[in-house]
Amino acid sequence: MLLSIPFLLILVPALPLAAAVATAALGPRVLRQASHWPTVAAVALSSAASLLLVVAVRQEPEHERIVPLWSWAAVSGSNFHVDVVLRADPLTAVMLATVTFISLLVCVYSIGYMHGDRGYWRFFSYVALFVFSMTMLVSVSNFLLLYVFWEAVGLCSYLLIGFWYEKPAAAAAGLKAFLVNRIGDFGFALGVFLLWTTYGTLDFDAIFQRPALVGGGTTTAIALLLLAGACGKSAQFPLHVWLPDAMEGPTPVSALIHAATMVTAGVYLVARCTPLFLASPDARLVVAIIGGITALMAAIIAMTQTDLKRILAYSTISQLGYMFLGLGTGTLLGVAAAMFHLVTHAFFKALLFLGAGSVMHATGGVIDIEHLGALRRRMPTTHWTFLVGCLALAGIFPFAGFWSKDAILAAVAEKTHAGDVAWLYSALYWAGMLTVFLTAVYTFRAFFLTFYGRERLPREASQHVHESPWVMAGPLAILALGALVVGAYFQWSGDFLGRDGFLAQTPSLVALGEKEQGQLSAGETASDVTLLASGVAVAGIAVAALLYLSRPAWLQAVTALMTALGLYRLSKNKFYFDEIYRALVVGPLERLAAVFAWLDQHAVDALVDAVGAVPRAIGATLRPLQGGLVQFYALLMIVGVLAFLVAILL
Amino acid sequence: MNSNIATLHSYLAVAAVLVGIGLVGFLSRRNMIVMFLSAETMLQGVSLSLVAWGRFHNDLGGQMLVLFIIALAAAEAAIALALVVTMFVRSGKLDIAAWQDLREADQPPFEEADLPPEPCDEPAAWPHLAPAGIEPSTSDEKENYRPKM
Amino acid sequence: MIEPWIILALATVLGAVGMWLLLPRGTGRGRAAGAAFALAALGAWASLVPGLGDWLSNSLFGVLAAVTLLAAGAMIACRSPIYSAIWFGMTLVGTAGLFLLTGAEFLAVATLVVYAGAILVTFLFVLMLSQPEGHTSYDRRSWAAVLSAAAGALLIGVLSMTLTAVLRGPVATAAVPQTVEPTAASYPLAQLGTDLFTRYVIPVEVAALLLLAALVGAAVIIGPGRTHPEHEPTP
Repeated sequence: MLLSIPFLLILVPALPLAAAVATAALGPRVLRQASHWPTVAAVALSSAASLLLVVAVRQEPEHERIVPLWSWAAVSGSNFHVDVVLRADPLTAVMLATVTFISLLVCVYSIGYMHGDRGYWRFFSYVALFVFSMTMLVSVSNFLLLYVFWEAVGLCSYLLIGFWYEKPAAAAAGLKAFLVNRIGDFGFALGVFLLWTTYGTLDFDAIFQRPALVGGGTTTAIALLLLAGACGKSAQFPLHVWLPDAMEGPTPVSALIHAATMVTAGVYLVARCTPLFLASPDARLVVAIIGGITALMAAIIAMTQTDLKRILAYSTISQLGYMFLGLGTGTLLGVAAAMFHLVTHAFFKALLFLGAGSVMHATGGVIDIEHLGALRRRMPTTHWTFLVGCLALAGIFPFAGFWSKDAILAAVAEKTHAGDVAWLYSALYWAGMLTVFLTAVYTFRAFFLTFYGRERLPREASQHVHESPWVMAGPLAILALGALVVGAYFQWSGDFLGRDGFLAQTPSLVALGEKEQGQLSAGETASDVTLLASGVAVAGIAVAALLYLSRPAWLQAVTALMTALGLYRLSKNKFYFDEIYRALVVGPLERLAAVFAWLDQHAVDALVDAVGAVPRAIGATLRPLQGGLVQFYALLMIVGVLAFLVAILL
Repeated sequence: MNSNIATLHSYLAVAAVLVGIGLVGFLSRRNMIVMFLSAETMLQGVSLSLVAWGRFHNDLGGQMLVLFIIALAAAEAAIALALVVTMFVRSGKLDIAAWQDLREADQPPFEEADLPPEPCDEPAAWPHLAPAGIEPSTSDEKENYRPKM
Repeated sequence: MIEPWIILALATVLGAVGMWLLLPRGTGRGRAAGAAFALAALGAWASLVPGLGDWLSNSLFGVLAAVTLLAAGAMIACRSPIYSAIWFGMTLVGTAGLFLLTGAEFLAVATLVVYAGAILVTFLFVLMLSQPEGHTSYDRRSWAAVLSAAAGALLIGVLSMTLTAVLRGPVATAAVPQTVEPTAASYPLAQLGTDLFTRYVIPVEVAALLLLAALVGAAVIIGPGRTHPEHEPTP
């Protein structure tokens, strides 16, 4: 019973929902500074349940279980019916395990980070709500419910980014995130509509298990529309502009939502819809191109940023670009590698963000690396865990990122050998390599500037710079351990990358595997990719150490060169995306809104006022009847009598 | 006498005209007394009509009604005069246009333009009278004037 | 009926007196009276002329109606309120005459006594006391003359239409007998008196109460007497 899939499947989202409600109800008055208990307990139990779920799914003969809960909407007379159905297959199980585990660690970390905040209970309520939404998002079995929880995680993201709503920058950032996501969601909704009109059903199995999907333009359109939604949620080019601003939120929020879980919803969506993308090679290509562009662009921008959290945000965008690149190859290896990278990225990115939070906690909120220096002496735990995270991010053996990133690059490399777009994949491959180099450089730039060099402490820190309490350092350590071993472990177990691995048993991906009988699997990938990537990463670390640790003069020379090339300014100003959007989209919309406001004020309000003026006018016309002269009244009476008589007679 | 010239129709027509004339007087005259007299004229017209109908049906009811109308008119005259006197005491004149206080707050009161002064019978130039006690001077011409045929 | 020779004698006497008064006798007095006498004589003599006499007696209604309406018109047209009151008196006389023609003798007399004798006189008192200077500025101007005249004329027209509409039919054109021959049993005045105290006794009592109420009300409205008037009557 404990291992029954339906029970576990319902338990995993239900517990955080209950915790959210309980915290909202009891938090303000009863629990106050103890408001973390319901959420932490619920997420812990959910995490345990999802690990058990993984075990249970593994034991399931078909590796898939559908658990219908109830019928949500049904229109009689047509075949439109939407049921609340949860599914348990390897893809879902993997996502659930990752989401709940990282959420647990972030919640524990937040006990220390958000300590004393006025909205303490609100924070944990929102986080529990988010965990509920995210777990439901990966558990549901039809597109409509997926859309519902897609929006729900967007809502939670908005609430949490704008958590300190009194800060105008935070409120604006929350709004920006929501609006940009909305654009993507619009595409997603159109995709869902197109799915409905094409297939007459929105259920995953009913669509993906078809022997043949409708080919041609329809599938490409559907795939591209769904991709639009994924781009919005996963902050891919061109909808990436919200993620750096989202760093206004508390750091645990950045760690949880904007590194590990919510932004991976887009990756999950594309992975889930693999049959759709299989049927449309053009969409696949678009996915890969978008991924590649995003990865490279974000890495370039991260080179010149000074806000540590923003560097990590661009790093997230870049790594998500990698995942999309992997998804865009359309091979089992690519998709599996993307999911693998998702899991490892969750670990080391959360680790990096929590480490940054630890630094902020110590320095009184200052995260500008130009104002920090040599923190390693005062914060040893943070320093070592951050180092582990950076090495994992850079992709150094044997840390987690090494295995997954190299798998993606191998998948891309596979596609460069044959096919008519091989040259495109080749370009993407070299872009990926360059991004590896840049990733290493900016990561260790941030690391060296923060933890090494001359000691600089900002004023806000006063004498306050000390190591974080164990409730914050504990999750850091656990995540560091994970970043160290997770990659190697899964590589060894073949859960992700093996042709008969756990993930490959997902029904959506089974077709992919059958198509590729006789091709290379991860274990046999060309080792030259691995060597090249490792070399590039080590070179990047060396360059960073050289420029930022030992030779500041060379740093100035390189900076001057880049400025002369114009690249420095381009990178520093984030490729002017915000300005372009403001001019192209926001400006015209504001002017349109001004026009409508003017119309509302002068046309609609005038109309309403005119309606209101009618009784006043009637009154003004009738008021002179009360002149006060008796003879006038008598005259009116006579006129009335006359009218009456005339009416009688005629 | 069996001259039946006047039909009921004629009496009713006369009554109608009396009512109409009385109505015009009531609506347009500004002197309160004249207004009241016009109202009484209207009552007279009605009485005439009632008497004619009574005669037509050979029923004394018409005359009875008129009798009561006369009594009523007397009572009404008493009250009306009391009111007129009170209003005269307060406003100093018998003009009904002096009482416009029932009008709406933002309506201007009825005011009439000034009238030209009434032409009076005063001569353009007063005759020059000689002061008393002195015989007016006359000339011989005036004494001996005889008109010619 | 009166003998023709009596009327002739009367006409002769009246004519003589009238003509004597009309002749120039050195003074201008009595000219108007002379004219009246002469006219009366003329009228009396003319009634003896066979065709003309009938026409005169037949036109009595027309004369009385003309007198009444002309007097009413003059009443609303006069500028001086005293003249209006006097013309009103003339209207009352005309109406009393019309009552007489329909055989309502008591009403005719009652009209003259109550209306002309009591009400009119009271009004004259008030007028003389309040407007000793004769007519004033507000007597010279009427209010909304066009509208009132139009309304009045329209009313007369509509009522006339009513008349013709109502009185269509054989029954309507029946004449109103001028007088009713008095029979021993149906002397109209006695009948009137009997009805007044048998059939209409309650309305009579109510009318009496009404008069009492009017009396008391008038006294209350006037209030306790003032020693000084609040306003001097403005000229």
